[in-house]
Amino acid sequence: MRGPIAIFKLDFKKFLSNPFIIMMTLVMPIIYLVVFGNVIGGTISHIPVGVVQEVPPYNETPLFTNAAYQLNHISQGSQNDAEKELDVTIYTDEAQAKQDLENGKIGAVIVFPSSVSNDNAVRLYVDSSDSVIPPLVEGAVNQVLLDLGADNPIIVDKIYGDITYLQFFGVGVIMMAIFTSTMFGGGIALIKDRENGIHEGYLVTPVKRSSIVMGIISSGTVRAFIAGFTIFWIDLLITGITLQSFQDFLLVLLVILIACMGVTSLVVSFASRFSSQQEYSSVIAFFNLMLFMTSGAFYPVIGMPSWLRWITVINPEYYGIAALRSIILRNQGLNVIGIDLIALLIFSSVMIVLGIVTFRRTLE
Amino acid sequence: MRLFGHDLLLGQDKQHGDKVNVIPAGNASDSFHAVNGWDSSNGTAIIRIEHLSKVFASKTKTVTAVNDVSFEVNHGEIFGLLGANGAGKSTLIRILTTLLSPSSGQAFVNNYDITKDPEKIREIIGVCSQNYTSDSELTAYDNLEFYGKLENVPDSILPDRIWELLKMAGLADRAYMPVGTFSGGMKRKLEIVRAFIHRPLILFLDEPTIGLDPEARREVWQQIMMLNKENTTIILTTHYMDEAEKLCGRIAFVERGRLIALDTLENLRKLIPAGDLIEIGVDHMDPQAEEAIRNVNLVNAVSVVEHTVMISATNGSKVIPSILAVFEKFQIPIISISIRSPSLEDIFIYLTGKGLESGNGEEENAPGPGGRRPH
Repeated sequence: MRGPIAIFKLDFKKFLSNPFIIMMTLVMPIIYLVVFGNVIGGTISHIPVGVVQEVPPYNETPLFTNAAYQLNHISQGSQNDAEKELDVTIYTDEAQAKQDLENGKIGAVIVFPSSVSNDNAVRLYVDSSDSVIPPLVEGAVNQVLLDLGADNPIIVDKIYGDITYLQFFGVGVIMMAIFTSTMFGGGIALIKDRENGIHEGYLVTPVKRSSIVMGIISSGTVRAFIAGFTIFWIDLLITGITLQSFQDFLLVLLVILIACMGVTSLVVSFASRFSSQQEYSSVIAFFNLMLFMTSGAFYPVIGMPSWLRWITVINPEYYGIAALRSIILRNQGLNVIGIDLIALLIFSSVMIVLGIVTFRRTLE
Repeated sequence: MRLFGHDLLLGQDKQHGDKVNVIPAGNASDSFHAVNGWDSSNGTAIIRIEHLSKVFASKTKTVTAVNDVSFEVNHGEIFGLLGANGAGKSTLIRILTTLLSPSSGQAFVNNYDITKDPEKIREIIGVCSQNYTSDSELTAYDNLEFYGKLENVPDSILPDRIWELLKMAGLADRAYMPVGTFSGGMKRKLEIVRAFIHRPLILFLDEPTIGLDPEARREVWQQIMMLNKENTTIILTTHYMDEAEKLCGRIAFVERGRLIALDTLENLRKLIPAGDLIEIGVDHMDPQAEEAIRNVNLVNAVSVVEHTVMISATNGSKVIPSILAVFEKFQIPIISISIRSPSLEDIFIYLTGKGLESGNGEEENAPGPGGRRPH
């Protein structure tokens, strides 16, 4: 029994001598609990919707006025933390409302019939690339009509057709592939070199630390790109999505490339501060899950509490997934994804600079 | 293996067109000794160290690895840093090669301040660290190519230079094998040739021959001497006395972070009061006997390292009968006995009170009984 006991002691001593690892093993599950619980279990509120009445004639019907008011005042949750479910914007031009829906400014358009309508139907246009919002909006409209005693039929128009959750989630997996390959790619290679003393060899050469960091980021980016691109194809095959145009395909490549740069520079700038693979791995595994959970890959970001949404603002995966969904699921162009690309580029630049500045040029 | 030395010479011959004598490995020692007579006093300082200190602080303990060290290394010399394990040699090298920043004091390499101009220094130095720093997943060729690029060796001459170095190291037939499959000695040789791929002005070699067999060591020595003839200044750390004796123009003794002596071997020898070293092997030693020997006339110092009593005495052969009398009186059986003139190791023991192999620079024990320290 001496052997196993000796090994046990050795292992345990090492574990205890590293408070950082102990902290990570104990604290991480708690953070996961809090974050995961809020990401998926959160109540969705403040869904932006457009409400418009058919024209002509141009006078507003009582149904439209009342329904618009009521839709804007549906609350969710218990009395104490009641939050508005919908943020209603009144449109006068149906075409404008639909335009805003297509550009992602609002999540649904509710069109009420005019006083001279044939079928008296309430038409609901929803962004079907999102699997959570449309049923909620539909439910709200149903309830309001019921409350008003109106028996208008509801016609739902899924503007992007039927999109399954698998297709919605599949896009997120592309980003996850990028992050995972980066984790085990660029970053860990850097730390392995440091741990094995290989760094000591090349830190005495005239190579600049910016060259070291840039070299590692570019190799990591290419590796991540290969992973992202491969998963993109597999995703298309599994989920049966077809891209609308060659331009969409090129845009996807562009987004994947920029996202790879952003994520790789994040990981490398982190890695440049660590000297042990174990510490790095535990931190980066934590990051991987945190960023993936808050990226909106599983569940719309709109469902998260505001403190979690702050994380999405600085989460490169969020912008990557948003842009990829726009192209792949909604056939949207640069006018919509431009902002995501700019955010990704800013993020990458900051991280590259951070990586260079924090890279330790000495052994201390 | 012998290629190591010869090809170097032939290679240099081609490169510079100089007539260089090929030194057969067997007779090499004669020429090595010639170096010892080399006069460094006329040289200009290429490295200047002023009151350099390095303190490593951790929660439990503070270690002063380098303690107020000042010295100069002259242009074109082979400078030896000698000390036991943990004496601070490697720390000193790491500071000079810009890997560590000093806690206090200043150092200049080729007039560049190590804290202000590290980039300039990295351009003119070559470093062979004590650890293996080659990438074991890459082949020998790829490792050299990688470093050649980092050291700005022009692409036009890089392949030739790599093959030249591989032949020097006797690794030409293994050029395309991963370094991970190499023996310790092969890795070591690769590491050494890599350090001067760019023909640096100053070459730092931290324990270059550690783990090498005697023949390989000699080949490395030849290589070091050749580089030195090409005007490369070499700073070498070692705890092998013979290595320092054969190679180094001037030698600095380092102990527990302090510089305790620095001079040419000849001058260092003079530090020991004219005398021989008598070594007596015993099973056990009686402290009273030790005291008694110390009181014998002409005996200068006595120290006991494990089972050996080391006595430095003026005119050793005359003193022996009196010493033997002491052993007889205390009834200590003698296993062996020898007399010799002081070597570098003896000087070291004389100065520090302990041998190189047994020491641990961090220990706070007092110097051995025969020890005397200038500081």
